[in-house]
Amino acid sequence: MTPEELSKIATIEQEEQQQHKHVIQVCVAAGCLSSHSDQVKDALDKEVSKRGLENTCHVKGVGCLGLCAAGPLVRVQPTAKPDAAVMYQAVTANDAADIVSSLEGPPVKRLVCPTNVPFFTRQKKIVLENSGIIDPDRIEEYIAVNGYAGLLQVVSTMRPSEVIDEVMRSGLRGRGGAGFSTGLKWSTVAKGRGSTKYVICNADEGDPGAFMDRSVLESDPHRVLEGMAIAAYAVGASQGYIYVRAEYPLAVKRLKAAIRQAERAGLLGNNIFGITFNFSIDIRLGAGAFVCGEETALIASIEGKRGTPRPRPPYPAESGLWGCPTLINNVETFANVPPIIRNGSAWFAGIGTEKSKGTKVFALAGRVTNTGLIEVPMGIPLREIVYDIGGGIPDGKKLKAVQTGGPSGGCIPEQHLDMPVDYESLAKVGSIMGSGGMIIMDDTSCMVDVAKFFMEFCRSESCGKCVPCRVGTAQMHDLLCRITDGSGTADDLTLLIELCDVLRATSLCGLGQTAPNPVLTTLQFFKHEYDAHIQKKTCPAGSCTIHAPAEVI
Amino acid sequence: MAWPAEDRRATAVPKDGEPPLLTDEMKKELTEKYFPRYPTRRAVLLPALHMLQHHHGWIPMRALAEVGEFLGISPAEVLDTASFYEEYWLKPKGKYLIQVCRSLACEIYGSKRVTEQIKKKLNVECGETTRDGKFTLVELECLGSCGTAPAMLINDVLFEDLTPQKINQVLDGLPEDAHKFRDPTVDWQ
Ligand SMILES: Cc1cc2nc3c(=O)[nH]c(=O)nc-3n(C[C@H](O)[C@H](O)[C@H](O)COP(=O)(O)O)c2cc1C
Ligand code: FES
Repeated sequence: MTPEELSKIATIEQEEQQQHKHVIQVCVAAGCLSSHSDQVKDALDKEVSKRGLENTCHVKGVGCLGLCAAGPLVRVQPTAKPDAAVMYQAVTANDAADIVSSLEGPPVKRLVCPTNVPFFTRQKKIVLENSGIIDPDRIEEYIAVNGYAGLLQVVSTMRPSEVIDEVMRSGLRGRGGAGFSTGLKWSTVAKGRGSTKYVICNADEGDPGAFMDRSVLESDPHRVLEGMAIAAYAVGASQGYIYVRAEYPLAVKRLKAAIRQAERAGLLGNNIFGITFNFSIDIRLGAGAFVCGEETALIASIEGKRGTPRPRPPYPAESGLWGCPTLINNVETFANVPPIIRNGSAWFAGIGTEKSKGTKVFALAGRVTNTGLIEVPMGIPLREIVYDIGGGIPDGKKLKAVQTGGPSGGCIPEQHLDMPVDYESLAKVGSIMGSGGMIIMDDTSCMVDVAKFFMEFCRSESCGKCVPCRVGTAQMHDLLCRITDGSGTADDLTLLIELCDVLRATSLCGLGQTAPNPVLTTLQFFKHEYDAHIQKKTCPAGSCTIHAPAEVI
Repeated sequence: MAWPAEDRRATAVPKDGEPPLLTDEMKKELTEKYFPRYPTRRAVLLPALHMLQHHHGWIPMRALAEVGEFLGISPAEVLDTASFYEEYWLKPKGKYLIQVCRSLACEIYGSKRVTEQIKKKLNVECGETTRDGKFTLVELECLGSCGTAPAMLINDVLFEDLTPQKINQVLDGLPEDAHKFRDPTVDWQ
């Protein structure tokens, strides 16, 4: 591939798109697919060809349009006036005729999904800019929206160190949980010894309630490949791996197709853009172990071993896969890289807060009206996410807590809703940004039960290598079971708090170190619920089945 | 005193006269497609296990030994690795593997009722296989479909927004031949 060829592909594709008067975008990401958006797409295709409109109207499958709860979603966009696009919700195959009939007239009223509402207007899309716009199965469409221009710019005009500086200046921090500076990590790997280095994309998204990475991979896989290639150029790696969960079959399929297309186009492989830069990417399927999301465990798994973490340092950046310097970043981290290169670090650094730059993708789930995928600037108040974008709590219920960070995070109560969403503020209330899962709970959820729920998760996902995590999570889970079934005592609570300390201080990896977080935050903000279970033997939310304590019977 | 032990890593596994479970085609694919991409043979262990499971539905002990022999790893180490990962089935499972999400978002929307309905309908407990060998039911963590909870996977196909009624519909609609049950939208090569 030469730079000229790249721009030619883009021009041809853009011209072709201009020829159609209308484009009908049907979401074919997993959420809408499971409500049969493929049938909707087929019906639309048939309807268009029945009326002989193939040349003026293009029906295509696109990635996630965001509002998964209202799926299947369809978007009709006049090519000349993209802003006049209409979104339809809960579309069925039977609606196809009406939709096609309406192309030249007013939209089909009964299906319209208003887009001038906060759910859409309050978002800021960088990572998801192409989601729901392009067909994820066609590299041409990605190239037509400036895809791989960042990679071209990097390999043809920048030295590796300049790329790292640019990423450093952007202030990008890892989106996989801990929020480590991406630029710093890259420079460590670049300085690493030896000529063999690896780049790994962590797509083992395991936090319950999180589906951002899945959506990015399903909706815009090339963006991740481009981000990885830029990283590989910067750190001097020639082999990359994407470690993706086997439970995401659609994402795996799209990734495989994308890699093949990129290889065929010469955007991956040897002598990319005609310079001596080689980079290939392989997919590695996970095998159902949450702890493999931890970087050292992930490396062990790629090496063909049990996925157990090892003590750090040395960090993978110094000694990772087969002892070589290895860069591990999350899917969303890589997805941020191409726009940073294209638009410059200053642009990116202008979004967000002082210490948390850019945007964050969140998966909204639980008791909130608009469940789905959102991308918001860092620093947005939590309240705005829940009430404006999320549309508030359905069924006239009251919000109780927002859970972020999955089993490593915490439950944030109503009184902290006005805090800005960024790494530091979340840490201050005992939670973490995590990978981006956000589960909203109303007053029917018992906080002790939620803590127990996550502890059960940690207990079953603990790899068993270190004692505090293996035994501690089991003990804490038992204690929480006793409390929720009404047989807990004040001593149990004391022991629980003690164990929180032990796990935090002595576990080998993040799994055990952060396992106490859900317990600690619920204790901090919802102590009265623990007390009610222990002293009054009642569950205020009415969700736990309390057995009368033995002595009473 | 140390007992001299025979190094059995290179000794061939008795085949009991049965055809190998790790077939020649698999070996060929592993050799041509996977070995060049990794500096060690061991790194190919997980892909090999995925391959075996895909082919046989589960991974019998004998297959573990064959993989070990092929990759130059002791059978015990293969077992050690394989048994660590939940995804690998070291005992037979049903033609249909039903995996219901038990994580928080699904729990909030009633995944328990869904699981109960499946248990009742198929007369199995979680982790069990029906007597006719058709269904295996398990629970697993988040499937990344939390926005449309509750969710489950049947083999490779995702089902969302589940209700007990929908469960009946889905289960009744499954074809007798599990190979015919494929996600129409995913093409598997
Ligand atoms: C138990 C555990 C699970 C993790 N799971 C994931 C995961 O699913 N995805 C991810 O990107 N990072 C996960 N991480 C964080 C990784 O170890 C690592 O920090 C991250 O991939 C680095 O990428 P980043 O710098 O882009 O954030 C996990 C960490 C722990 C301790
Ligand atoms: S919690 Fe069930 S799919 Fe995420």
